[in-house]
Amino acid sequence: MGLDYQLVLWNKYKKAYDKIIIISMLLYIILFAAITLIFNSETTIETLVIRAFGSLAIIMLNIILIIGPLARLNSNFLPILYNRRHLGVSMFIAAFIHGGFSIFQFHALGDVNPIYSIFTSNMDYNSLTNFPFQVLGFIALLILFAMASTSHDFFLGNLSAKVWKRLHMMVYFAYALIIAHMFLGAFQQETSPLTIGIMTIGFFTVASLHLITAFKEQKIDSMKMEEQEGWLKVCTISEIEEDRAKIFTVKNQRVAVFKYNGKLSAIHNVCKHQGGPLGEGKIIDGCITCPWHGYQYLPSNGQSPPPFTEKVATYQLKLEGDMIYINPEAFDEGTEVEPCNY
Amino acid sequence: MEIIINIFLLILSVYFIIGLLFGFYFLFRGASKIDPLMENTKTKVRFLLFPGVVVTWPFLIGRLFKSKTP
Repeated sequence: MGLDYQLVLWNKYKKAYDKIIIISMLLYIILFAAITLIFNSETTIETLVIRAFGSLAIIMLNIILIIGPLARLNSNFLPILYNRRHLGVSMFIAAFIHGGFSIFQFHALGDVNPIYSIFTSNMDYNSLTNFPFQVLGFIALLILFAMASTSHDFFLGNLSAKVWKRLHMMVYFAYALIIAHMFLGAFQQETSPLTIGIMTIGFFTVASLHLITAFKEQKIDSMKMEEQEGWLKVCTISEIEEDRAKIFTVKNQRVAVFKYNGKLSAIHNVCKHQGGPLGEGKIIDGCITCPWHGYQYLPSNGQSPPPFTEKVATYQLKLEGDMIYINPEAFDEGTEVEPCNY
Repeated sequence: MEIIINIFLLILSVYFIIGLLFGFYFLFRGASKIDPLMENTKTKVRFLLFPGVVVTWPFLIGRLFKSKTP
């Protein structure tokens, strides 16, 4: 932990990841421009920029939204999840260029305030086919701005994890606005079946992956656990991989039971940083490591190693033969609990 | 409809103007009262944080007031 805030906490993986993002964005823009100019050489540079960056932003947003569910379904996607924040800021920059050029081309050259013009140049709000779709894009851009501008750790710490999370969950509202913005705009200006096809595939991929993940989590939540004198039967030792955990729902709280070095410990499954699923992480250097951003907790007391101060609730386990049992009553956050030896 | 648009844009403008004014005070004075890490934070980082402060000023004002309450 540093004694001040840095612009970006770089490491070699983040640098490599950012290089991939920038190169991919540049390649997409060049490819989009080349294909557009081959098939429609009369396209103006402003229109080209608007369409290239608009389509780039929506493709990036679709990728951002599928990273979460993909990482829940397959741990190979976790490194991408870990770096998702930079992808989000890059997506906002693409959306901002799209919005900025659109406002300049369509609203800034008259004598009306450009922002006022976005809302009033087309007052056909009761029409579906002629709805002023740019308003939807503008509101979505405001939400994306709020998210990108608060992506620094300063805001996570000072707004509280709860407020920060709520603010960033607004991405789904922004996504809905962008989908409406795209389809209404496409109907009015661009009728290429290819464009509409790509948008539709993106939307259904995002929606179906979220549904699959929700069903998977609902299965964990609805799992009935057998009770025995106040203790709940969890699973056998062999059902948990070494240095990994299994997640169970105990009294409506998700709990992760970890197996490491011949010991078993149970902690609350929710990371204090951004609510990441600790049970989907693994033990690294003796600490439970959150799969989302690498926050760490000691398995025996749920405390982050000093100088960090995060704490999660702990639970007592007992063994009967090979079977693990859990006491459903959680201890206070950071309470030391003797690990179960096997 | 035009009335609704005018009210919405007025609220939006007022929100961002207050945010802009608060942003300068907060980043160069107030922030270190609620976050000790801000004391040694460089000016370029403060400018990076500026847009986010403009957006979230109601929450940060709340935190500033809470920090002054004994």
